[in-house]
Amino acid sequence: MERRKFLNSVAIFVPFGTALVGFLGMGIRFITPYKREVERRIFTIHLDELKLNATQQFQDLRGKDLMLVRTSDREVKAISTTCTHLGCSVHWQADKKQFFCPCHQGIFDTNGKVVSGPPPRSLDSYRVELEGDNVFIYFMDKPSDNGI
Amino acid sequence: MGFKNWLQTSFPINEEALVSISSEPIPNHLKRWWWALGGTPLILFLIQAFTGILLIFYYVPDPDKAYESVKYITFTAKFGWLIRSIHRWASNLMIATLLLHMIRVFFTQTFRSPREFNWIFGVILFLITLIFGFTGYSLVYEQMSYWAMKVGTGIAAATPFIGNWISDFMKGGSEIGQNTLTRFFLFHVVILPFIAILAISLHIYLIRTLGVSTLEFKRDVNEPKKTFPFFPDHFYTELIIVTIVMAILITLALLFPVSLGEKANPNVTPLHIKPEWYFYPVFRWLKITNLEVGILGPIFFILMLFSWPFLDRLFEKYFPGKEIGFWIGAGGLITINVFLLWEVFGH
Ligand code: HEM
Ligand code: FES
Repeated sequence: MERRKFLNSVAIFVPFGTALVGFLGMGIRFITPYKREVERRIFTIHLDELKLNATQQFQDLRGKDLMLVRTSDREVKAISTTCTHLGCSVHWQADKKQFFCPCHQGIFDTNGKVVSGPPPRSLDSYRVELEGDNVFIYFMDKPSDNGI
Repeated sequence: MGFKNWLQTSFPINEEALVSISSEPIPNHLKRWWWALGGTPLILFLIQAFTGILLIFYYVPDPDKAYESVKYITFTAKFGWLIRSIHRWASNLMIATLLLHMIRVFFTQTFRSPREFNWIFGVILFLITLIFGFTGYSLVYEQMSYWAMKVGTGIAAATPFIGNWISDFMKGGSEIGQNTLTRFFLFHVVILPFIAILAISLHIYLIRTLGVSTLEFKRDVNEPKKTFPFFPDHFYTELIIVTIVMAILITLALLFPVSLGEKANPNVTPLHIKPEWYFYPVFRWLKITNLEVGILGPIFFILMLFSWPFLDRLFEKYFPGKEIGFWIGAGGLITINVFLLWEVFGH
């Protein structure tokens, strides 16, 4: 009799448990967004337009700001203006030659290195490629998350 | 068969049970206003439900339209400004009264056995209320909303182990956008209210079954009865509080109606950025610590809150009579206030 009761409850709970786990799993999968990224190469600027040590604001295809800095004759840096602390966007302060984050007062130098404040690492930079005098950057394009 | 008989047959009501439920005896010390603080957040919660449902009539959870719909509510819809102002002010008062309620429970030590669970449900309610504040603030989709979402999801992402999943879950994608707003809206108007009602019910159920802890004040010793009935005595007290709360809300809404900042601009963080006052201590903490400590601090604080009844018991066991719990509480409270004031006056 005992054995029968046990088998009965196994027969009820195992399928029930499986169905429940399946349903919950389906829900969790559904609400977890995709991670899709495509690398794209875009033209930004012609070297003549960017003097040595000058900076130029630019937007990638998704409308996100980045900063172009010509650090030497044939070297351009493309620095992301998204703060590495908690994601605010930094302001370029031309007079002090630094990036300032208003959220928790993080400060970065022209190369994106942390000068002071809570940010844990330098500002991210985009990979840059010079083709003749044309400056290209590579950026990670993230497609829309709900098809709109 | 009269109407009453028919009703009694088809919709039986147990009158005795009704009387015994509603006239639960309440210890005398609850006549003091300080002890009625638990009821005030409940009243405010109901006011939030009422004004919140009204706001949904016009609010549109779409990044391109949310701001305009709030603008419409504020400047065009009949009484929209008042409803929105009351909703905003009640949220602030709700957090303020919850803090007072927690402080009262903490320092009268009524979280002690057998009321550990009630303290825990209380902490859950407090956190839910903070999340209500955060998600609600974001729905407006003004500059501060957007950057609050940004920093909020950033904090979530920096949480050890599960951080990335939580942050993706909040954003619903790689950037803040439509999915994020949908999710915040869903939480603010469906999921959080559901959890809050559940937790409030459990909280009140436990108060009813365990009883409110009795404290005797010197002045009450000579009173003939130790208790008074919930209905009508305490019920009337609560009605008076409801009326006063509504008067305070209307006054605040008239004197300081809510405004509307600039529309969210994902590229430009405003130079002067501050969250709501109840996040000031955390905000200041994030400024003065590095990222890891900045995140671990609040997590540690929340864990302390949850385990407090048990920690307190350990302190009492190993250091009896030293009131360690009291000193930790007092120290914590002062620290939080210092951080809060620092953020108010510092920059
Ligand atoms: C929506 C939020 C809340 C509501 C509606 C609520 C409501 C109440 C009410 C009506 C009481 C009866 C006694 C009194 O008025 O003080 C009470 C007691 C209590 N509350 Fe809350 N409360 C909330 C949040 C909290 C929080 C955040 C905490 C602590 C972290 C907490 C901990 C307690 C405890 C331990 C008691 C029992 C105290 C005793 O028996 O003396 N509650 N609550
Ligand atoms: S987000 Fe830039 S300093 Fe915190």
